[in-house]
Amino acid sequence: MITRRNMLALGAAAFVAPLAMPNILRAQGSAGRVVIVGGGFGGATAAKYIKRRNPDIDVTLIEAQERFYTCPFSNLYLGGLREFESIGHSYEELTGEYGVNLVTALAEDVDGDAHTVTLSNGETVEYDKLILSPGIDINWGALEGYDEAAAELAPHAWKAGAQTQLLRRQLEEMEDGGLFVLSAPADPFRCPPGPYERVSLVAHYFKEHKPNSKILILDSKDAFSKQGLFTAGWQSLYGDTIEWVGLSDDGRVVRVDAEALEVETEFGMVHRANVLNVVPPQKAGFIAERAGVTNEGGWVPIKASTFESRQVADIHVIGDAAIASPMPKSGFCANTQGKVAAAAIVASLAGNEAPAASWTNTCYSLIGPDYGISVVGVYEAVDDEVVQVEGSGGVSPADADADFRLREAQYAVGWYDAIANDTWGTVPA
Amino acid sequence: MTRLTRRSVLALSGAGALALMLRPATAQAGAWQRLDAARELVGDATPTDGIELELPLVSENGAAVPLSFRVERALDDADPVETVHLFAPSNPDPLIAVFHFSPLAGRADVATRVRLNESQTVIAIARTASGEVMVGEREVRVTTTGCLMVDDTYESANVFQTRLRAPGSVSTGEPGKVLSMINHPMETGLRTNSSGETLPKRIIERVEATMGGEPVLTAELNRSVSANPYLRFFVAPTQSGTLELVWTEDTGETVEASAEISVG
Ligand SMILES: Cc1cc2nc3c(=O)[nH]c(=O)nc-3n(C[C@H](O)[C@H](O)[C@H](O)COP(=O)(O)OP(=O)(O)OC[C@H]3O[C@@H](n4cnc5c(N)ncnc54)[C@H](O)[C@@H]3O)c2cc1C
Repeated sequence: MITRRNMLALGAAAFVAPLAMPNILRAQGSAGRVVIVGGGFGGATAAKYIKRRNPDIDVTLIEAQERFYTCPFSNLYLGGLREFESIGHSYEELTGEYGVNLVTALAEDVDGDAHTVTLSNGETVEYDKLILSPGIDINWGALEGYDEAAAELAPHAWKAGAQTQLLRRQLEEMEDGGLFVLSAPADPFRCPPGPYERVSLVAHYFKEHKPNSKILILDSKDAFSKQGLFTAGWQSLYGDTIEWVGLSDDGRVVRVDAEALEVETEFGMVHRANVLNVVPPQKAGFIAERAGVTNEGGWVPIKASTFESRQVADIHVIGDAAIASPMPKSGFCANTQGKVAAAAIVASLAGNEAPAASWTNTCYSLIGPDYGISVVGVYEAVDDEVVQVEGSGGVSPADADADFRLREAQYAVGWYDAIANDTWGTVPA
Repeated sequence: MTRLTRRSVLALSGAGALALMLRPATAQAGAWQRLDAARELVGDATPTDGIELELPLVSENGAAVPLSFRVERALDDADPVETVHLFAPSNPDPLIAVFHFSPLAGRADVATRVRLNESQTVIAIARTASGEVMVGEREVRVTTTGCLMVDDTYESANVFQTRLRAPGSVSTGEPGKVLSMINHPMETGLRTNSSGETLPKRIIERVEATMGGEPVLTAELNRSVSANPYLRFFVAPTQSGTLELVWTEDTGETVEASAEISVG
């Protein structure tokens, strides 16, 4: 294979030949052009780490929002433990310190052959390598009765922003003695412990302000992340406030009536809520489909060692949009995947092999402000699939004392501050 | 998609046929050929692909993987499908289940949930009354999310609770959708408890659906069917009556549920 490095070592005559490699030719004069769609956990990390490894690479970040609000810790905001602004982050470090070109626009289309991205502002951007980290989109239509209008009445709050604030308002306006119903989806979905952390912190809010209120989780699964730890934590902090109904007890919601705040389960039970939070079925952000990298399930198959699409060359897809199972769809995973993709792209643009990939993940969940639990995994690429390193990781002990839970709650805050600093350069207040 | 069947290969002659048959991985060289039980079932027949098998490409929980199949040919065909066998070749006990259909089922279209020990190609084999065979296969990658910790003790409080949802009314001959579920551990007999003792096998081994006493569907379940066996199937009654379901445990114990369906 002719790499850029040995091409440069060749004489002038040799440059006539490689017309079949237009990207490499276009890349001359700079160390290459990388376009990144999405400035969330995956995309912002990738932008920064490409620049850290090779500042000569031209990096353009396309992000629809001016400011990024994290889903991590949005449950603390819902529980009344944080101000909304405390989970907001800017792109100042990326543009100011790292020289990333930020374009505030929506990427509307990708032409993988021409290596171009079309934006909502009418511009077209060319790339040598493209990274997509668009997160999830709601799979509207997958759940009867749940569309964008319904989400204004029964929010999903599964992307942080106006939806999260709407849900918080509804919880504040709910009378004491009300019922909060959360419908949880089948796998795969963003943040496997997320729904269970959410009900925990809503229960905390109820305990302080609306002690007669109840919570019902209707689940499309029979098992969920850190289940034993959550169940025990709920018992010890909130007694019987939280009821969980799994798939095999008719927990799967098949129809939503958002006006009536009602949901119907598979076998015909109708539950009426005072506040209804539907965590709906999801898929990769739409730009992935436009780029032709999704499979029939709506997610993106990737080569594990580089997170490059298995379907379209020179497009790397990281974060929630990618199929990286057994890695969960978490912000931490998106961050480490961003670093792996960055390293692979920097190497490839320099004509080198990608370094060996490995990833870590820790998902902290808060059951109460002083009660944290976690699950950890370490992963590597084997035969271009992600596998968990044997014997690595684990979950918090079942029999830990209150002090242990308190320390894990403190670590969770430390984790948040650290990852926000690593990804967006945010310095904790 | 056109698919090369063995029948069409045999119809070719001379060098062309030889070249085709020497090609290592034609559509014909399916996973079923590597499983004795499946090969026996196919026998001398030339399988076609009239059965569509659906499973997720990647499953994050091998304990309950949604599976559905659908045979294109209607059950009122002159040569209807009578049975569908499901196999998970890499499970300790590959036969998942066998379904027997009568024309009253309207269509051979079933959904359930299965256990998959590891990544593998799942196989569905349909046989018609005359012995025609259709094969469907689907490769599934089974991973277990790092964030998922499955409780390995089953809550037995609700064992034998049944659920049945059938259409209150259907038009004559129109297949109506039926959902059924029974709470049951489907203990495989292969698991050990925390002190290392093998938990005895205990499964629902049979689900029979009848309409006005006439058979609709009989499902013989094996231990690769997930806990709390779930079955979605169809019924196409010609006259109003009672849909009855009987679940039979391997101890001989039975549980029943029924629903009225009016035809108009
Ligand atoms: C309630 C909740 C709690 C969570 N808690 C945790 C936790 O504690 N720890 C953890 O690790 N993870 C947690 N997560 C998961 C975490 O939020 C996601 O896994 C993470 O955000 C995925 O990163 P990403 O880069 O794939 O997508 P995102 O972070 O969502 O970033 C995608 C970005 O792309 C932009 N975008 C999308 N499409 C386009 C386009 N076409 N053009 C321009 N811009 C576009 C979006 O505006 C967005 O800013 C939680 C999730 C939820 C819902």
